[in-house]
Amino acid sequence: MSTARRTGSARTTDIILLGLTVAFAILWMIPVVWVVTMSLKPNVELMRSTAGFIPWPFTIDNYFNLVKLATVPRWLMHSFIVAVSMTALVLIVSSLAGYAFARLDFPFKRTLFLIMIAGLMVPEQAVFIPLFTMFADWGMHNTHAALVAPRVAVPIGVFLMTQFFRAVPRELEEAAELDHASYFTIFWRIMLPLSVPALTTLGLFTFIFAWNDFLWPLVSATKAEMFTVTVGLASIQGNFAFSEGLGSVMASAVFASLPIVILFLIFQRFIVAGVAMGAGK
Amino acid sequence: MHHSKLLARLALATALTGVAGTASAVEISFFRFFGDCQTDYGTVMKAAEANGECGIITALANQFNAENTIGAKVVTQTVDWGAYYDQLTATYSTGNIPDVAVMHSSVLPNFSDRDLLVPLADGFAKVGIDTADFVPAALKNATTNDTLYALPYDLHALLFHVNVDLMAQAGFVNEDGSIKLPTSPEELISMGKEFKEKTGKFYIATESQSSEGMMVRLWESFMWQQGVDVLSADGKEASIATPEGEKAAALIKAIYDEGLANTALDYPGAEQAFLNGEAGILINGTWGVDNYDSQAKSGKAVLKNYAVANVPGIFGAPKVWADSHMWVMPKDEGRTPEETEAALAFIKFLNDNNFQWARTGHLSVRQSVIASPEFAALPHRSDFAATAENATALPVVQNQRGIFSAMTTDLNAMWLTGTEPADALAAMQESVDQILRRNR
Repeated sequence: MSTARRTGSARTTDIILLGLTVAFAILWMIPVVWVVTMSLKPNVELMRSTAGFIPWPFTIDNYFNLVKLATVPRWLMHSFIVAVSMTALVLIVSSLAGYAFARLDFPFKRTLFLIMIAGLMVPEQAVFIPLFTMFADWGMHNTHAALVAPRVAVPIGVFLMTQFFRAVPRELEEAAELDHASYFTIFWRIMLPLSVPALTTLGLFTFIFAWNDFLWPLVSATKAEMFTVTVGLASIQGNFAFSEGLGSVMASAVFASLPIVILFLIFQRFIVAGVAMGAGK
Repeated sequence: MHHSKLLARLALATALTGVAGTASAVEISFFRFFGDCQTDYGTVMKAAEANGECGIITALANQFNAENTIGAKVVTQTVDWGAYYDQLTATYSTGNIPDVAVMHSSVLPNFSDRDLLVPLADGFAKVGIDTADFVPAALKNATTNDTLYALPYDLHALLFHVNVDLMAQAGFVNEDGSIKLPTSPEELISMGKEFKEKTGKFYIATESQSSEGMMVRLWESFMWQQGVDVLSADGKEASIATPEGEKAAALIKAIYDEGLANTALDYPGAEQAFLNGEAGILINGTWGVDNYDSQAKSGKAVLKNYAVANVPGIFGAPKVWADSHMWVMPKDEGRTPEETEAALAFIKFLNDNNFQWARTGHLSVRQSVIASPEFAALPHRSDFAATAENATALPVVQNQRGIFSAMTTDLNAMWLTGTEPADALAAMQESVDQILRRNR
């Protein structure tokens, strides 16, 4: 009897929680649906009214106009090259540095770790101009290297990997140490395979950041043929795009977001795990 | 063997022809905002067949490429409007400095004072651009420290866009069909109240929420109407927290306090309200004219009967805020004489076709174009032709964008957070003084 009551009460709680989750999900989805709706309406119509979630009158011209632009595939390619290279390099640097901070003993380790952590507190804008001038002096702007290099040393990535490696039981390495395995062998053969969930999470966040990056590519890639998709799509907007070309702006937003949405759908469990991991730390 | 030699010679000849062909075409880079509309206008070779800012400027470049006899080719690069000046500045370090670039007159001193632009007086004389034909205000805006740095291309100013049907309902249409507009602060408020009473609609719609600062432009207009220069000619002093400033600010605050305008509207929201017949007057710039006209004519908007009026002299002479789009040549030590010649030829071509640009809704800066029958025949242009004479701009001083942005934040506080006019003006004065000190 009492068990049945408890079950009933648990079910009620579940229903309330589910209802709240659904309500919040709908609330979060409204802007997304609105964006998609507007992307499927003519610009002249949107100038009069942006209200409503039904795309009528309907048009796919906003998407056609994007696809027809000869430069768009090139911009997508640049974004892809930048995002993939940045992700790979961040994973290499963060995992190696994280392992060193977690497991190796070397002089000034604690000080270096603190300096690295201090990097978390320096806003990007504070180093923006020196960074820009430095790359200009080296003649590197308008190259893929300039788009990727400043983003490779990521304190949060090193911190995340350090914390992950610290949590790995020592016993797993001791067996390898008895076999006189080098630090790199231990890192490569034992630690790295164990850290796949953490690496996947870090990799996904890095890829998403790289894909959405706007400010640095805006000033570093000033040639249209070197634009990434975010800068390129912004460059084709007219002066009063938010009133006169709203449908085109929204189509650009949907178009540029699609690769990330697909990535999210494929890897969502890692992203959720990553957020949970971040919260746990 | 014989065949292979022949083929090699043919290949060499083809390669040499290719090189010669490339050498004869002088490419010049053209940096601008206004958007990319290659899909719609990429193949339009006559500017007269294009419409809108983006369409007309795209077709002008196409037409120049097709018609010029010096073998010049303009290669356009479009840049996001909001980030345009950041990216233009960046090109001086990234190495792809454009040969011709668009620039607002309000931004010109930021570049000219740092010696980043090519002086153009000699070049204009060489290609035959008659500077005496420019409206004096436009020529003044293109000049800093007595040096001409730009080809002025338009004047864009504030206007009153009017819903004639609502005005008629309120009894504000004169017998000759002209719109009855207020001539004093008191009249503006009383007419606004009467309008609201008779129509149930807002008297005014304008951007009131975001950084467009439409009310700053109106406040500046009111200052000039009272004979006060917001910034001194040398750009060292600001006259903001003054009795005149307070009168102008008090009127703007009263517009909102009396419920004559909706505080919740951003830029697109204000346009929507006007097109949907929710307001009698939209305060916005010349750039909207053709759009609103075509919306009214489409029959799909609630607005059916559209008219344009100059901003009236509420405080005296009908002075009104204005800015200009201009064409400049950024300095580039690597530019060859041929590229300079091609760039000047393109600027001359743009000047020759100034009328086409005036079809966007902007006012022409060439007196000969303004006086032409073609210009008078454009929709509504004769209704606001006086704006070319009333147009007033801040003096050509550095950091005008920063000044404008600071003023917008402080002035908007009057209706967004209830700040009193005197306090808002004191904050504006402090912010602007701080920027001006940096300029010295």
